[in-house]
Amino acid sequence: MKRSLGEKVFDIFNITLMLFLCVIMIYPYLNQLAIALNDGNNTMLGGITIYPRKFTLVNFEAILSNKDIWKAAGVTAASSICSTVLILITCVGAAYAMTKKDMPLRNFFIWFLMIPSYISAGIIPTFILYRYLHLLNSWWVYVLPGAFVFYNTIIIRTYLSSLPTALEEAAYIEGANEVQILYKIILPLCKPILATIALWSVVAAWNSWTPTLYYVNDSNLYTLQYVVMQLIKQSEAISKMTTEAAMTGSDMSHVQPTSEAIKSAAIICSTLPIILSYPFLQKYFVQGVTIGAVKD
Amino acid sequence: MNNLSRKLAAPTQDNYWRQLGKRFARYKFMYILILPAVLCTLIFHYLPMGGLIMAFQEYDIIGGIGKSPFVGFENFIEILSMPKFLGAIKNTLIYSGVTIFLGTPFPIILAILFNELKQQKLKKIVQTVSYLPHFISWISVIGMFYAMFAINGTYNDIMAAIFGSSYERTNILCDPDSFLGIIFWSGQWKNIGWNSVIYLAAIAGIDPTMYEAARVDGCSRFKQVLYITIPSIMPTIVICFIMGMSSLVNSNFEQVYGFQNIYTQEATEVINTLTYRQGILNGDYSMATAFGMMQGIVSFLLVVVSNAVVKKGTGMGIW
Repeated sequence: MKRSLGEKVFDIFNITLMLFLCVIMIYPYLNQLAIALNDGNNTMLGGITIYPRKFTLVNFEAILSNKDIWKAAGVTAASSICSTVLILITCVGAAYAMTKKDMPLRNFFIWFLMIPSYISAGIIPTFILYRYLHLLNSWWVYVLPGAFVFYNTIIIRTYLSSLPTALEEAAYIEGANEVQILYKIILPLCKPILATIALWSVVAAWNSWTPTLYYVNDSNLYTLQYVVMQLIKQSEAISKMTTEAAMTGSDMSHVQPTSEAIKSAAIICSTLPIILSYPFLQKYFVQGVTIGAVKD
Repeated sequence: MNNLSRKLAAPTQDNYWRQLGKRFARYKFMYILILPAVLCTLIFHYLPMGGLIMAFQEYDIIGGIGKSPFVGFENFIEILSMPKFLGAIKNTLIYSGVTIFLGTPFPIILAILFNELKQQKLKKIVQTVSYLPHFISWISVIGMFYAMFAINGTYNDIMAAIFGSSYERTNILCDPDSFLGIIFWSGQWKNIGWNSVIYLAAIAGIDPTMYEAARVDGCSRFKQVLYITIPSIMPTIVICFIMGMSSLVNSNFEQVYGFQNIYTQEATEVINTLTYRQGILNGDYSMATAFGMMQGIVSFLLVVVSNAVVKKGTGMGIW
């Protein structure tokens, strides 16, 4: 098919724009990686782009030999796995029950579960409640409050209702009981959507740091991204102190700032599991959104 | 007559209850399945609502909710007369308003451009790359931004290269006046790709024969987008917009708190960050609860009202 001049110009413009978008999206990671692999003092001179000028692995060694980082990684990994398992159990259960059209009180349950996604009490009443429940300064605060996610339930429900009901009926006639139907027929069919929900949950838990900020003081229970947050906020405060010291002429050489390089190494290490697995699992990451888009 | 009808009705009523009992019994397993979700929602979403009483009290840390004296609407009146709170409300409305009203078209345009891209390989790569930032935690993204916008970072290097030696290097992340721009563009950077997914899915659902017919009639690609693509994805756009409306009074805590620093914090406080600082850091539970409650009510009303308005105008809505 022949294309007009205007269309050709547009195509070139579009391709250029997309390449530019790629550069903008990727550049910050490569910049971080270059800083993390570069000598800390050398980085202070500026001008680091996407490759290290003075290559070193010292920054990564510093991060990987830090016990607090490993402890945080352990806490984060444990809460990621546990919360994902809980979310899958509660959401699949609720979603499957919601597909039963003539179950008494079905609509009541749907409304009951839906209302909190539009109105919430806010963080202070939640904070007070957690104090009564002894969830403050407890690892369980990462797992229990988020154990049910309404949005995920709707996605699973939409997926379930796209399955042919004849399967279930056939199994029922063959003499399978409800538990068998759920485990042997429904769950195997839902695998793709469960993979999506599991990935979302793992990533959300892996990236979470606000529960630590709100509810946890115990440094044994810090999550990985909370540690990263502290590094970022600290180096900010120290850089202010150093600038002020430089202005007033006082000696600040005793203050050891977490260098830009160590910070970058921490960011790279903590996001690496996601960045590395994402390209292979992209299909699963994305498909839930399109299912959720179906309105009913 | 009355007696007779009662006699006739009695057995059917009995029947009704027995039937209902049977239906309950039949779905026993389903109730067990839905129970964890219900318990979790009850405990972690409904129980805290009882704590909203604190908004009407002068909360006493030792006595707890039961022993705190009631003060009526005093906390709300105080909030509406304190510049600190009013400033946070103003900032929230500005940041979220700009994000919602100016930000909505960006992912839509991106989705349309993706769709117009004929090079499948390139399309796949750009999509993969542009979705990625969505899965990186906000705080790590903020760390990257700090490196990019540092005095000797890439942003300043580029600006210096463009404007020559007269350009004065500054860290825009330390300037409160740049905060709106930072919130807006960092939000776009992180979410534009991911937000375009839903529009791409809507575009994929458009009947291809419409485009064929348009092409036969000599309709240009630009006009096809204008008269086929956009009207076809309008329902999706409307629904996303309504969902977005509730966040007009909500900021992304992780984003705003993360970007705040000693230079910008005071001028850029939003409702969410102020509630956190007032309540959890300063222990002023009553004021913080009242502030959060106002936010919750307004955000709920926004969804209801915008849903009603859109439904009346176009017949589309979320419920």
